[in-house]
Amino acid sequence: MARKSFRMIIAKRLVNVAVTIVGIMVLNFMLIHLMPGDPISNVIPKNPKFDKSLKWALIEQFHLNDSLPEQLAWYMYNAITLEWGTSYQQNRREVFDIIIGDLRWTLLLVGISTVFTIIIGMVVGAYSAYRRGGVFDVTATSVGLFFYGMPVFWMAMILQLLFTSEPLGMSWWPQLPGGGYYDTEKFGAELTWSLPMALSVIEYLILPSMVLSIGYIAGISLVMRSSLIDTMTDDYILTARAKGLTDYQVLRHHALPNGMPPMIALIAMDMAFVIGGAYQVEVVFNYPGIGYRTIKAIDDLDFPILQFIVVIGGVAVVVANFLGDLLLLYIDPRIKIA
Amino acid sequence: MDRTVGTLAIGPFGIGTRAVAILALVLILISSAGTSLLSSAGAFAAAQDELPVADAGPDINATVDDEVELNGSASTGFEGPGDLNYTWRVVFKGNTTILYNITATISFNESGRADVNLTVRDSLNRTDWDIMYIVVREPPKTWLERSLWTIVGTCILGAIVAWFLALVIRKLRRHEPIITDAGREKMRLARKKYAKITKQLLRNPMGALGVAILVFFGTLAVIGPWITPYPVKEIAHFDDLLPPSKTNWMGTDSYGVDIFSQLLYGARTSMIVGVFSAIIASFLGAAVGLYSGFVGGWKDEVVMRFNDVVLSIPWLVLMIIVAAMMGKIDLIGIILIIGLTGWSMTARMVRAQVLSVKERQYIERARAIGSSEMAIIRRHIFPNTFPLVFANTILTVAVSILSEATLSFLGTWPVDEVTWGTMLSYAAEASAFQNNMHTWILVPGLCIVAVVLGFTLLGYALDEILNPKLRRR
Repeated sequence: MARKSFRMIIAKRLVNVAVTIVGIMVLNFMLIHLMPGDPISNVIPKNPKFDKSLKWALIEQFHLNDSLPEQLAWYMYNAITLEWGTSYQQNRREVFDIIIGDLRWTLLLVGISTVFTIIIGMVVGAYSAYRRGGVFDVTATSVGLFFYGMPVFWMAMILQLLFTSEPLGMSWWPQLPGGGYYDTEKFGAELTWSLPMALSVIEYLILPSMVLSIGYIAGISLVMRSSLIDTMTDDYILTARAKGLTDYQVLRHHALPNGMPPMIALIAMDMAFVIGGAYQVEVVFNYPGIGYRTIKAIDDLDFPILQFIVVIGGVAVVVANFLGDLLLLYIDPRIKIA
Repeated sequence: MDRTVGTLAIGPFGIGTRAVAILALVLILISSAGTSLLSSAGAFAAAQDELPVADAGPDINATVDDEVELNGSASTGFEGPGDLNYTWRVVFKGNTTILYNITATISFNESGRADVNLTVRDSLNRTDWDIMYIVVREPPKTWLERSLWTIVGTCILGAIVAWFLALVIRKLRRHEPIITDAGREKMRLARKKYAKITKQLLRNPMGALGVAILVFFGTLAVIGPWITPYPVKEIAHFDDLLPPSKTNWMGTDSYGVDIFSQLLYGARTSMIVGVFSAIIASFLGAAVGLYSGFVGGWKDEVVMRFNDVVLSIPWLVLMIIVAAMMGKIDLIGIILIIGLTGWSMTARMVRAQVLSVKERQYIERARAIGSSEMAIIRRHIFPNTFPLVFANTILTVAVSILSEATLSFLGTWPVDEVTWGTMLSYAAEASAFQNNMHTWILVPGLCIVAVVLGFTLLGYALDEILNPKLRRR
């Protein structure tokens, strides 16, 4: 196989990313289009004396009388020009504002918990592989498997109960806020950045990010462990040991660099699942992010929000995968991606 | 004189009678007026003290399109039941109907639960209210619908038997021995292989634990619905939200149904959802992966791009939107939702495996001796990918059970069915923790964790046994 240049590979990846994003938008458009319910009847007042001509004007404005391909074209055009329309609920706020506002909180939640997940998961997995079969390995693997099979929303409910009550009457047990995004009673509904407020935001972030992390730490550490164990059985590890390197040196400079690529691929692929988990966490903790908004929008049949909020999630996953690929290419030059 | 005499003569009597009569009359008048006045005043005061009490009657089980009669005549108030003002507020699937008579009829055109709130108001504008539920079910199925699965099963079984008979008859007509030595040897080898796999599985501590968990819950799934202490699909056996006790080991839910019975019942439905949706997902994924990997070229590219799209939309959102599209969902619906949205991971994996198998030499040899494409897929590529798919299917079952629980929790549950997921959802709705019914949330959740753990352990163990080379890679 002819060796492809780095630039060609990236160009092809970029084309794939663009095609996938367009595909996500088309699929999303079709799905939303097939959902039951009439979008116009949500906008107009339910009053028999209502002027019918306004309804026709609205239909005209939203191109609802056009054919399906034309509507799709309008949808794409609006999406690219950021004309995302106004929500049916929320006092007709701009969808773009709503989504950007929610996105901050979800990014905060997902970002922090992903960082913790990766660090803790890798350390636990590496140490388990390093002391394979030991007490730590067995304990970590079984505890990890237990948490891995736990419904995220269930864990969220349990932790919420655990840290908003005093189990067995222990008065020293830490109490954490069980819902919301910061102390709105103390700081008011308007978001103004100050140190006490930032502390409050962090305090309210502890439980949700903990829930989101625990399940995925298990997944990461299990894969890290098996990937490292695979590389540790290779011959060059034996060579490294034979020339007198310490165990730590072998792990750090020989095993880890070769065990990393599967990990990066996995972390990028798992992004879709992490976002799915974030949705559940947000619903349980009333955390005002994308997930909470999506579930509410589906309940209210708020089509303008739905149209774009799903795309945002998809685009996030695609971008994460692309970055993962780039990183893989950078750290592992052996990979030839066809 | 006469008069006087007469008067005198009849005097005492006359006076007496008259006096008595007058006295009596006055007394009667006074007393009767008094008592009537007093008593009527007292009665009035007592009646006004009597607050109206609404009674909407017991919960009702109804079928679709039945005329359900709402009867509030058991309500009491000081004017008598007829003089009260009755307001029925029937909330069914988010739609509210308001009716105003002492009795009212209403009918429902789909199954579900209606919350009925009766408010009575007396002429002094005092009110009382009472809640009841109407559970609307699908009409009893016809014998064809009821025995549909039996008929389908019989057909499949019949086809297998017919195929087998045809094989035997063909061999008999050609005067071949029915069981050849080669066949016997093949059977022996196959049996040996499976015995070895089983032995390895049970030796592996992870695999053995998984098998043990699954045997327990598998048994529960088979016999669970038959050994429920109380019926699950009828309401009003007990009071609502009873705490755990000797009669109701885990208490009762918001409709007075025994939770422990639901737990036993839910084992089967949860397992069915998990297993069947995993089978659908794996089948679709394997088909797409085989096709795309084997065909290659631009078709492969198109399929894989579509696969990327499905994989990129967060799975949960995809499932919720598909569920919202389908509207009313029964058990088959939820199986389809999970199965139809969960195939893309399998497809990607199968494709990778097909690509690696395709380049091997024996495929080229098979092509050289003139095997058709279908034969190559069937005899060489599929057998080489099957162990991978099989182990992956077991892991997918775990994910599917989790998906069902999550979907139910987020508000898309199968109508009229009890699964562990719907139990958790109802428990969260009734804020079970705040009502001190911890078991209602803890136990179904732990059951889900256990089953998922069982399938995960079994899947990993099988993967290790069936695909040793792949794991080494």
